[in-house]
Amino acid sequence: MSRIGVFVCHCGENISRTVDVEKVAAEAARIPGVAYATDYKYMCSDPGQGLLKKAVAEHKLDGIVVAACSPRMHEKTFRNAAKSAGLNPFLCEMANIREHCSWVHEDREEATEKASAIVEMMVARVKKDRKLVPITVPVTKRALVIGGGIAGIQAALDIADAGHRVVLVEREPSIGGHMAQLSETFPTLDCSQCIMTPKMVDVANHPNITLHTYSEIEAVEGYIGNFQITVRKKARSVIEEKCTGCGVCSAKCPQKKIPNTFDKNLGFRPAIYVPFPQAVPNTPVIDREHCTRFINGKCGVCQKVCGPGAIDYEQEDRLIVEPVGAIVVATGFELYSISEKPKGSPIKGYGEFGHGTIPDVIDGLTFERLASASGPTGGKIIRPSDGKEPKQVVFVQCVGSRAREKGISYCSKICCMYTAKHTMLYKHKVHDGQAYVFFMDARTPGKSYDEFWRRAIEEEEAVYIRGMVSRLYQKGDKVVVMGSDVHVGVQVEIEADLVVLATAVQPRAGADTLAQKLGISYDSYHFYSEAHAKLKPVECATAGIYLAGACQGPKDIPDTVSQASAAAAKVMTLFARDELEREPIVAKVNERNCVACLYCKKVCPYGAVEEKEIRDRQGNLIRVVAYVNPGVCGGCGTCQASCPSKSVELDGYTDEQIMAMIETL
Amino acid sequence: MTNSAQTIDPALYAAVTDAVRAEARKVLESGAVAAVVGWQAGRRAGTAMPTIVTDPAKAADLIFSPACVNNLALYLTKAKKEVRGKGKIAIVAKGCDLKALVGLMGENQLKREELHIIGVVCAGVQGAAADRSLPLSEATIAGKCRECTVHTPENTDVTVGTLTELPHFTPTESAELARLEAMTPAERWSFWKEHFSRCIRCYACRQVCPFCYCEQCLCDRNRPQAVETTPRPAGNMAWHIVRAMHLAGRCAGCAECERACPMDIPLNLLNRKMARELKELYGHEAGFKPKEKGPLAEYREDDDQSFIK
Amino acid sequence: MHAHKENHDFEPKIIAFVCTWCTYAGADLAGTSRMQYPANTRVVKFPCTGRIDPVFILRAFQKGADGVLVSGCHPGDCHYMAGNFHARRRFAAFRALLDFIGVDLQRLQFSWVSAAEGGKWVEVATELTERVRALGPMREFKELEAEEQWSGVIDTPELQEAYNNIP
Repeated sequence: MSRIGVFVCHCGENISRTVDVEKVAAEAARIPGVAYATDYKYMCSDPGQGLLKKAVAEHKLDGIVVAACSPRMHEKTFRNAAKSAGLNPFLCEMANIREHCSWVHEDREEATEKASAIVEMMVARVKKDRKLVPITVPVTKRALVIGGGIAGIQAALDIADAGHRVVLVEREPSIGGHMAQLSETFPTLDCSQCIMTPKMVDVANHPNITLHTYSEIEAVEGYIGNFQITVRKKARSVIEEKCTGCGVCSAKCPQKKIPNTFDKNLGFRPAIYVPFPQAVPNTPVIDREHCTRFINGKCGVCQKVCGPGAIDYEQEDRLIVEPVGAIVVATGFELYSISEKPKGSPIKGYGEFGHGTIPDVIDGLTFERLASASGPTGGKIIRPSDGKEPKQVVFVQCVGSRAREKGISYCSKICCMYTAKHTMLYKHKVHDGQAYVFFMDARTPGKSYDEFWRRAIEEEEAVYIRGMVSRLYQKGDKVVVMGSDVHVGVQVEIEADLVVLATAVQPRAGADTLAQKLGISYDSYHFYSEAHAKLKPVECATAGIYLAGACQGPKDIPDTVSQASAAAAKVMTLFARDELEREPIVAKVNERNCVACLYCKKVCPYGAVEEKEIRDRQGNLIRVVAYVNPGVCGGCGTCQASCPSKSVELDGYTDEQIMAMIETL
Repeated sequence: MTNSAQTIDPALYAAVTDAVRAEARKVLESGAVAAVVGWQAGRRAGTAMPTIVTDPAKAADLIFSPACVNNLALYLTKAKKEVRGKGKIAIVAKGCDLKALVGLMGENQLKREELHIIGVVCAGVQGAAADRSLPLSEATIAGKCRECTVHTPENTDVTVGTLTELPHFTPTESAELARLEAMTPAERWSFWKEHFSRCIRCYACRQVCPFCYCEQCLCDRNRPQAVETTPRPAGNMAWHIVRAMHLAGRCAGCAECERACPMDIPLNLLNRKMARELKELYGHEAGFKPKEKGPLAEYREDDDQSFIK
Repeated sequence: MHAHKENHDFEPKIIAFVCTWCTYAGADLAGTSRMQYPANTRVVKFPCTGRIDPVFILRAFQKGADGVLVSGCHPGDCHYMAGNFHARRRFAAFRALLDFIGVDLQRLQFSWVSAAEGGKWVEVATELTERVRALGPMREFKELEAEEQWSGVIDTPELQEAYNNIP
């Protein structure tokens, strides 16, 4: 007979408000095999855990059910408590009577009845629990950082400085990300490039960092401590080892009229180019889509002028396999576009703003390029249509963001601050100009942020109008802005020379595809999900993968850098050990019954199943059976559900455990 | 006897018998195979039974007739599987038996190179209740043969016999399937309930199935007991559901289960239904070529999920 | 004010087989968001829908479930890459089999509920509960449980006599 202890938690009043916890404990005590049952205000507190440990000793318990919150919350806590009481931690289970009961039911009688049923189910399970011993696996002390913006750079530098090898993979030809495109940064108005480029150089020069630019993640296999990643190094058409970065190729390239995407198409670049002068690495790439050589074979100038002979038109994509132990995902964001959205996208564009067809309606990032000293205009603020200096500029906030009708309900967080910054930069450059801002609310929490915003209004004379813009249209060489001022309660019409939209921050296109490769989850907008909103903000639910920057949600630079350093710290914590303990939730084969139909091998998503030959002492083959490599097994259990004879069994989720739970119905 | 439109000419089987004997003698004499798995005449007139021939002189015992109902694939993985230890084995196979062999190859139970397959052209075999003295006709032919599409086995080592024009037979299996599908769920439930309630759990269906080759059947396990083992209606229902599910995508329709069932439960009907579902859903047909993965061991990202909310 | 509790003649037993990463977390989210739904559902947690054996569904019906819900990650979101893809085929086949046996498929619901879809969990659990409540108890399997084996039926006078003569 088992000796199970049942501990029913009040969770303050979170459970006891709707569940009669004393009754649940009393009913649990009547279940055969339950040796002890009690209730307590806060089981997770120190005294609560003490109570549990004491009961294990006093009542010689051989299994524990804690009826409290979700196991996703405190299973570890109670298993650790059980362990310190001398019990195998896997003999401790949680009955979720908070998230799945007290919080979702109002009727006390029904909720109490359900709580008792959940407890009974878990007691039945615990009786069938087996002692499990954690699996130790070696840790590859090498990290992968995906994305070379400020988040990826910070994480890579921190990990590398701690003495570990880092592989940094960037999709674009240069690292730098969005921060390299910015002019000045709030709230200090220091030049973005001045603080960014030294860090980029540090990455390039760091002995512990291997940089793959113009590369993407092709495949990810393995698990915490033991990932195998495949990087696709796209054909640059330039041999990195030979290129000296002299720039003659770009200067001589006859194709000069390709819109410069780094400058938000405000300027032009040649077909062989570096995205910006401070690029790292300073190695050009041939844009094969626009290069004459690749279009019709009728050029070859760059190859002729290249002294070191670095141009290679035949270069192909290369796949590089790198073993790593941890992954930091820092893929950043992109801005919402008001143009028409592809069919099927839940997010709608802004037809009332002209769907992006009015040339003097630009987004915030384009304004950054206009204001940047290294931008296409040398920092002179002119409007795209005719190059004239705009004297009236209207800034519109919350374009896309907080607009449920457009499909996005979240706040993009950074726009209030950067719009305030834009009004200042504008005023500094166009002294007789006037900036107007249409806003819903000004959200300026952060050190020196509200002061900054007040300065924009009080010292730089930006006119803030609380209200939304309903329509934008071209009238002569002006853009008419129709909006409302809800404070005064009137309709407002401004004939602007330039309109700047603070468009929403969105995850990168393809964020979902990358998440699927990594096996991490994402929300409905495709922002990556952290394991816990408050307590595990940088960890993914998938062990060994961490998040940094705007790929997890809109963030400004200080937040991004903090999170990147936090992710790096998590990686270093992992790398502090030579071996890692893994949850022993892995499949095992019963070799006596296995007939090697290898159904398990066919369905295993991890390739963890191998064929094993059983031989007698003379070495004669007796038979073949399946074998599960515990290091590779991910613990999904698909093999067991597929095995006709159930000769493979997933520890922690055995048929006995599941059937026992079903029996309590 | 002339071949009318109503019966199948026994001469077809006689010709196949001669060719099987010749082939068996040849491969045994040359040492190409260690044994031949085939049929020989049964003790009672008009019957046949499986046999394993190792002596070339005994090759003349082999026969092929409408009484050769057994699926011999069984003898390689279950009943007489120790014979495979002797070396390469020749096996006489009807089209339906060959499908089982092919399925077993896909499931890692047989290796093609270890077999010498003597395919036999087959016009049909007798139904369970047939009068064995009569030639095959609408009255005596087995249900599965009425809708057979594999009279001439393909991808064998040698195929013997020539198919003559066959009479038209009523497709009883598909007719019965259609009848059941047209019923309401409650009617189907009482249909199966009545049939399964008669089950005595002799497990002849399992014993005779080439695909039930597990060392220990899930349904015999008691920790935990997934399926009640006593022949009560509840356990019977569970057993037959589990059986049909385990055979889904694998069973190629030799219908031996139904033939062996002493209680006349229409077991092949369940198997045919599952085969048709998997063909409609995933374009899979069991037994035509060895596949590494059956329909329930693989997936496509765009598989139908209209039933999932 | 709390809504007045409705009284129903029949409260169905619903068992939900869910994966831990998506649907279990989605049900947790419904809790943290304080959404309300009928208290009929009992959740059994699995690592993945790939682990869910059709036998469990069968067993649940046999043990008195009036409705069964199987729920996991949306395609492409599986924590184990492909477990839910395998489950999808397995359950498509099993569903067809149960239908052919004569089980009312309205009692068996499959769904994809992600960790972010607390609302969808509530919707799925509520819909199934209400539908099964309207259908009434799942009598078929329960009646089978109660039935004796055919050979034990004393249905002839001779058998009755023989039975009476057993000392």
